[in-house]
Amino acid sequence: MHTHSENSAARYGIVAQLLHWLVAAMVFVQLGLGIYAGNLPVSLARLKWLSWHKALGIILLALVLLRLAWRAFHSPPALPAFLPRHERLLALVVHALLYAMLVLAPLSGWLYASAAGLSVTVRGLRIRNLVERNPGLAAAFHDTHVIFVVVLASLIVLHVAGALRHALRHDGIMSRMLPWRRT
Amino acid sequence: MTGSFMTLAMLLLANPAMAQQCMHVSGARIAFEIIQDGAPFSGEFAEGGGRVCMDGERIISIEAWLAPASVNTGLPELDAALQEAEFFDTRKFPRVAFTSKDIETAAQAYIAHGELQVKERTVPTSVPFALEPAPATTRISGSLTLDRLALGIGSGEWADTRWLGAEVKVSFSAMLEQ
Ligand code: HEM
Repeated sequence: MHTHSENSAARYGIVAQLLHWLVAAMVFVQLGLGIYAGNLPVSLARLKWLSWHKALGIILLALVLLRLAWRAFHSPPALPAFLPRHERLLALVVHALLYAMLVLAPLSGWLYASAAGLSVTVRGLRIRNLVERNPGLAAAFHDTHVIFVVVLASLIVLHVAGALRHALRHDGIMSRMLPWRRT
Repeated sequence: MTGSFMTLAMLLLANPAMAQQCMHVSGARIAFEIIQDGAPFSGEFAEGGGRVCMDGERIISIEAWLAPASVNTGLPELDAALQEAEFFDTRKFPRVAFTSKDIETAAQAYIAHGELQVKERTVPTSVPFALEPAPATTRISGSLTLDRLALGIGSGEWADTRWLGAEVKVSFSAMLEQ
């Protein structure tokens, strides 16, 4: 049996699909962790939850970069010609911005943590700081992180709305990303 | 009558306090580093002072203090939390103080054996330090490692050393002025 690890002309391969859903699930967890932890008062709980938020964020960044690398060598299936041009353009723009924010949101978080002197450790492994400690810079990166995260969340809303629209129209676009659909 | 007056005068002259000379600490810099979540995190205390008393060339006593309320970690919400009862309880205890009992002279450096007073605790502590001549003054500096739990800093949930290490590295430097 063909394993579908490669993207075909009609649908995404299993690697692209797995990375997509893994990153999607982690972004949801990450948004929840960030909102919860970021709004806790200074406490041991805040320290712990933020520690997990930072660690998961670094893993997420690595996965997103892996996804982009995979995508660079395995072109995604083109959007079918029956879709109106403006819809194809909209999808292209939202996808590009999603990728940009999926890199910039965790990167800004990492920059913030570095500038604030709150180094990241992933399961005991020290992750290097991107910049020297600098409280002024930390405040700027904090706001940048929040802005990118809000933009990311807004893009996710658009993205999910688009996916649902395709699902309801039964035009086959949604199932290109669903591992259990075989065409 | 004259005899007892003479004795009093002699006692006064022999008083070591008369031969001793004290220098005041200025421009103190006190920094600390602690492991939080597996990585070093640092901060400093902006306000501190003290005095070093000499008898001729010999250092006979050191008194030093810092104001924990002047802590600066670069994170204002953390600085505020450090004022609370679990940490320095700065409203009740505005100063952390060290008083020497004995000064040991080693090859190039000194060790001040004495007591560190943090909140209601008094803990025997040895502080190694060095003196070096600086233009018109003397510079004093040193560093030591303290056990924050022994000092009652970071009690309750904060006693969990998996998240906040027990060891605190402290380093200090200041100028001594007449
Ligand atoms: C896609 C990845 C990420 C998402 C979606 C995300 C999301 C969020 C959200 C929603 C908040 C709450 C903002 C607020 O309400 O103040 C937050 C805060 C925070 N994030 Fe992230 N984050 C990500 C990656 C990272 C990374 C990689 C790091 C560090 C290595 C990080 C460090 C932080 C920190 C330290 C805060 C607390 C800010 C504060 O002090 O309030 N984040 N994040």
